[in-house]
Amino acid sequence: MSLLYSLARLLDRISPAPIAYAHCDIPCGIYDPHHSQLAAHTVVRMNDLINQLEKPGASATPEQRQEYTNKLARYLATKEQHAELAKNEIRILWGDYFKPEHLKTFPELHDLVWKALKTASKARQEINLQAAEDLLKATNDIASIFWKTKGFETTTAKAPYPTERQTVYPKYK
Amino acid sequence: MRPTLAPGDYVVVNRWAYRFRRPAAGDVVVVRNPEAPERFLVKRIFDVTRSRIEVVGDNEGRSRDSRTFGPIPLEKVVGKVWIRLRR
Repeated sequence: MSLLYSLARLLDRISPAPIAYAHCDIPCGIYDPHHSQLAAHTVVRMNDLINQLEKPGASATPEQRQEYTNKLARYLATKEQHAELAKNEIRILWGDYFKPEHLKTFPELHDLVWKALKTASKARQEINLQAAEDLLKATNDIASIFWKTKGFETTTAKAPYPTERQTVYPKYK
Repeated sequence: MRPTLAPGDYVVVNRWAYRFRRPAAGDVVVVRNPEAPERFLVKRIFDVTRSRIEVVGDNEGRSRDSRTFGPIPLEKVVGKVWIRLRR
């Protein structure tokens, strides 16, 4: 340990200097594809709600129009947020969790993620139930690969939400 | 930032380094973490544009940097690493 280092340490004890981190990411190792699947379910649900919403006719009162606009705006905002959330969760799995050795076993992963992100953008931009369904399928496919890399088998079951779509779950041992 | 810096190293930062000259690629700088503004990061400048810099860690495989959080505006740059004291 150099003299200068000892001096710096002494100064640091007297008047602590702020810490500059070289790693801002704690490799916590805690990952789960469930968040992305949940977000995709929300996008599907918002499409359903928007499609069920009765559009105001020519004779609608200003109050009815306002109520319609309010509901539509809320559904759209939620759809927007959750499509973006799904993208973020997929990116975390892709960028932080999946390693080169996973790609050797699942060479389709890059293409799958790329298409999932594109589909999520489409589902965000448009009122498009098919895009939302495609996004959910993509998150299921990614979840299926994720759980296999963790050594878990998966099962596909009807989700216990109003969307009731088929969803991939791990079979916990 | 291995191998340039190791945990526990001290750095002396020149906060006035960029008052008279522009940041340059290759400089090791301390910046505000764009993802957690109360924290500081130490990284190497990879590219400089008019008002922003892109930073990467020397330990590329393990670093979270502009490849993740994008370019950093110049006002987030605290200063240039001037002296490094090895542990």
